[in-house]
Amino acid sequence: MKPLITYRFASMLLVLSLGLFGSCQPENSPERKKVAVIISTLNNPWFVVLAQTAADKARALGYEARIFDSQNNTSLEADHFDNVIAAGFDAILFNPTDAEGSVVNAMKAKTAGIPVFCMDREINSTEAATSQILSDNYSGCVAIGKYFVTTMNKKGKYVEILGLVGDNNTWNRSKGFHSVVDFYPGLTMIAQQSADFDRNKAMEVMENMLQAHPDINAVFCGNDAMASGALQALVSAGRNDVKVFGFDGAEDVVNSIKENKVVATGMQFPKVMAETAANFAHEYFNGKTEFPKKMPVAVELVTTKNIDNYIGYGKKD
Amino acid sequence: MKSFKTILIVVVIGIVAWNSVYFRRLDEVKQSLDAKDFDAAQYASTFWKSTLPGALGKAIDLTELTTLISANEAKAFDDHSHALGIGNLRYFLIKGKGAVESVKDDIVIIVLANSEQRIALATEFIFGNAIRDASGLINVNEFTNTMHFNNVSAEINKIVRETVLPEFKNNVKAGDLVVFTGAIELNREHPDLKDFEVIPIQISIIK
Repeated sequence: MKPLITYRFASMLLVLSLGLFGSCQPENSPERKKVAVIISTLNNPWFVVLAQTAADKARALGYEARIFDSQNNTSLEADHFDNVIAAGFDAILFNPTDAEGSVVNAMKAKTAGIPVFCMDREINSTEAATSQILSDNYSGCVAIGKYFVTTMNKKGKYVEILGLVGDNNTWNRSKGFHSVVDFYPGLTMIAQQSADFDRNKAMEVMENMLQAHPDINAVFCGNDAMASGALQALVSAGRNDVKVFGFDGAEDVVNSIKENKVVATGMQFPKVMAETAANFAHEYFNGKTEFPKKMPVAVELVTTKNIDNYIGYGKKD
Repeated sequence: MKSFKTILIVVVIGIVAWNSVYFRRLDEVKQSLDAKDFDAAQYASTFWKSTLPGALGKAIDLTELTTLISANEAKAFDDHSHALGIGNLRYFLIKGKGAVESVKDDIVIIVLANSEQRIALATEFIFGNAIRDASGLINVNEFTNTMHFNNVSAEINKIVRETVLPEFKNNVKAGDLVVFTGAIELNREHPDLKDFEVIPIQISIIK
């Protein structure tokens, strides 16, 4: 459990320190609008980047910004919405915990006249949010699936570690991957289990899968935090023959691809999504009323062949 | 009295726990997500028969596209590509004519007419959104759930696999002259003009 505590502590410290930095700015002007950044979890560096970029961009545009961590708990997320509405925030940059369960929270804000801009994760409503800026997870995982098939020479046994079962991204990624891989009867998925997008859970899941299925050749993980957890379990077991595929473009996995420890990932662009959401809020404050209900953001396949074009969470400048 | 209290506490905790947790198989969750009142096959069929043919007339010749990108990359992408949102991945409707150089398991290599350029016509890896997005005629905002939208791509690709490719794959051989219309994906920031992979929409062996 120590790594979990250390990981959470580091994430909290980062957010708190950045939050303090933000609070040093003059934010008490009566005209200054307030933007809430409600994030599914800060127990994952990818979401810390998403949250912090959104808050930084909102501040750069002249608004007060505050981050709320839902800890992957829809009830806690509902509390945040209640508090944000009561505190008179003017817009919400929202990374939901659950595609269905979060709709009611977004609707509460809409009823209160507060626009909601979803980032990265989708809610199953085109009415509740003013706009949803979402990674094209399916297409990204189609590309990973094609690379998986060619890398595996169309045969082998593999396992899949899924993200949160209630999140659309989990299934869009899984379906994109299987839309390719399932065409190849030589590739057999022998286990599929959720680890909630969590690194430590994925490590435990991978350890159990290795015990039950020592003959696996590859693992596909629904995000890079889980890929890192799976890699950790494989390294501990001395299994450097198992190919690891992730999704996100997190810094540690980008580095692992450089070191040939991870085969591929799908590069999402959390900074692009966060900045777009903050810009949309800015445009809303300036009177714009028409926004695309959904704005997909392309996901790019990252492998050893093109790794030099990328850094963690995005492209090299 | 003490044991009664203990039993009562255990019963209350048991009832709360029983009502707090439920288990569902992953397969059930997947099925419930898939089953929501949208017929992707029907949508794809209508798109293929009614919407897409109108857009094929705007397909750009692949040799011409290569020249345009080399001359003015930004303009070529702005004028001829489509994408549904933000990002570097863009899709083009293209057409071409050329001689079959070789037939492999998953691609057919074609040397374009009036050019030395070789392209790969995909005959196995028919996946992704190239055809759906290259036309620019399907709007993601028509769909409540992006999974429905993604299923449209899967069904379009299925049409290609089942109706466009079988006859071609059975008959094509090196030396054949072919004409084709299809879709390609290019990364706007790193366009790879040497390794075009075309997802076919129409393809004919003309001799």
